[in-house]
Amino acid sequence: MGPLLYVCDLIVYIGIFGIVSLSLNLEFGFAGLANFGKVAFFLIGAYTYALLSQIGLPFYLCLIAGALISAIFGLLISLPALRLRSDYLAIAVLAFGEILRLIMKSEKWLAGGNWGIAVSPIFPWMGSHLIYRLENIALVGFCLVICFLVVQLLANSPYGRAMRAIREDEVAAEALGKDRAKFKAQALMLGSAMAGVAGGLYAQYLQYALPGMFMPMITFTVWIMVLLGGPANNWGALLGAALVQIFDRGTNIAKDYFTLPIDPSNLQYILFGVLIILVLLYRPQGLLKESKVKTKALRLAHNGRSAVKNKGSQ
Amino acid sequence: MEEALLRIREVSKHFGGVYAVNGVSLDINHGGICGLVGPNGSGKTTLFNTILGLHRPDQGAIYFNGKCTNNLAPHQIYELGLVNAFQLPRLFYSLSVLDNMLVAARGQQGDRLLNSLFLRGRWQEQEKGLIEEALDILELVELDRLAFSPAGELSGGQRKLLEVARGLMAKPRLLLLDEPAAGINPELGKRIFQKLKDFSHNGIAFFIVEHRLEILFQFASWVYVMDKGKIVIAGQPQALIDDPAFYAIYLGEE
Repeated sequence: MGPLLYVCDLIVYIGIFGIVSLSLNLEFGFAGLANFGKVAFFLIGAYTYALLSQIGLPFYLCLIAGALISAIFGLLISLPALRLRSDYLAIAVLAFGEILRLIMKSEKWLAGGNWGIAVSPIFPWMGSHLIYRLENIALVGFCLVICFLVVQLLANSPYGRAMRAIREDEVAAEALGKDRAKFKAQALMLGSAMAGVAGGLYAQYLQYALPGMFMPMITFTVWIMVLLGGPANNWGALLGAALVQIFDRGTNIAKDYFTLPIDPSNLQYILFGVLIILVLLYRPQGLLKESKVKTKALRLAHNGRSAVKNKGSQ
Repeated sequence: MEEALLRIREVSKHFGGVYAVNGVSLDINHGGICGLVGPNGSGKTTLFNTILGLHRPDQGAIYFNGKCTNNLAPHQIYELGLVNAFQLPRLFYSLSVLDNMLVAARGQQGDRLLNSLFLRGRWQEQEKGLIEEALDILELVELDRLAFSPAGELSGGQRKLLEVARGLMAKPRLLLLDEPAAGINPELGKRIFQKLKDFSHNGIAFFIVEHRLEILFQFASWVYVMDKGKIVIAGQPQALIDDPAFYAIYLGEE
């Protein structure tokens, strides 16, 4: 693969994982829900896309269906999320993701078991790898922009403020009129829907869906993206996605130039672990700080006040 | 006669075999300041939590504004205008002081998912008004200069003030306050009560647990005395001061 193709491929990956990272940021960064089953919703979106496109549905309906089915599972996950402490929730959804993967691996009648199923690409083959990738960059970019707008608008609204309040102290937030059950369910549904769209895009781009694509490591990779970029900051989630993808690729390339006493692909996992420890030790808030709630009215009030202050100091 | 704002009838709440609240009945009227006093462990905070829906009463009924609240969730009770300020402030520390206030506003258009996305014009307009109200209340408690600082940077006394201010932000019909003057200097405590008194003239009723009797008795118009889960005496502060039974409860019966 030429360098240009390689970079285009990287951009598609950054876009797809950017969407997943934004979705986890919504759930964890803003609403404080430790979703360690992210890969499950990615898987649901991918398989929904694959199965529906096989029966000939147009691609946008497949993506939307993936989002909806994923959202339904998100709603189901929110039921234990209301009862379990966040660390137990993390374990429960982690297991959920593995169970789903093992089901897809064991079944034969639905989606080809371990061998997975082929997915026909959206874009007809134009005889060029570059064009294929550029088309995908446009599609993924379009979805990413929509997801980003949604989470950004939410973050900067009374809704986003209420979510942060629930994250900080859910009992106090409930006593201040916020229905925490509703907020948690909605955050998990929306986050799952976004991960479902990303899963559909992923299957479509790779032109297949198989259980090996949905190892738990995907979840942890997305967590590193959010923690590195900065929880509760949507730009941070994107930055994290880009940096982790580049790190992933970079170490993949670098390993060809070194002879190591251990298997280099294991070393990559170790480096990921070291990275996350360093982030949590030295920059627990992530590279970008939590974004404040920004609304037009708040900005006006803030400007008004600084104008008064300046007058006072003159 | 006008029906009381809050009516509690024969309410009991037990944990295991221990009755924390045992057959309590009381009325809180519209407006004014009502006190609740009693030794530690007499069940005051449990009674408050039961009123707020954080505990379900085992027996009895609670009516707020004529509506039975026994089976309502805390956030529903809040929407009726029955609001609480915690004894130990439970602020949202990474949010700004102003955001803490805005979280508490009742009836917001923009805290629904779809509204926040698609009716931005409408809630932005509402938010402008809410910010003005919030800044007015913050000015009363002298926190307006810190409106845009994170709540985590406030001192202990300021946190207490913000907790009370946040309760006022909800425009409650009834605000429950658990020891608003505890842990702050007496002068400030008195100022807080003075401000509550001003608000009570605007039709907000206050039900206040307070150990600082010298402050409470100065401002309250009626005081309930609780001991071992029961209301044992009630009356105007002056009458209680003259009642030897009151001292017996407070200082121990020995």
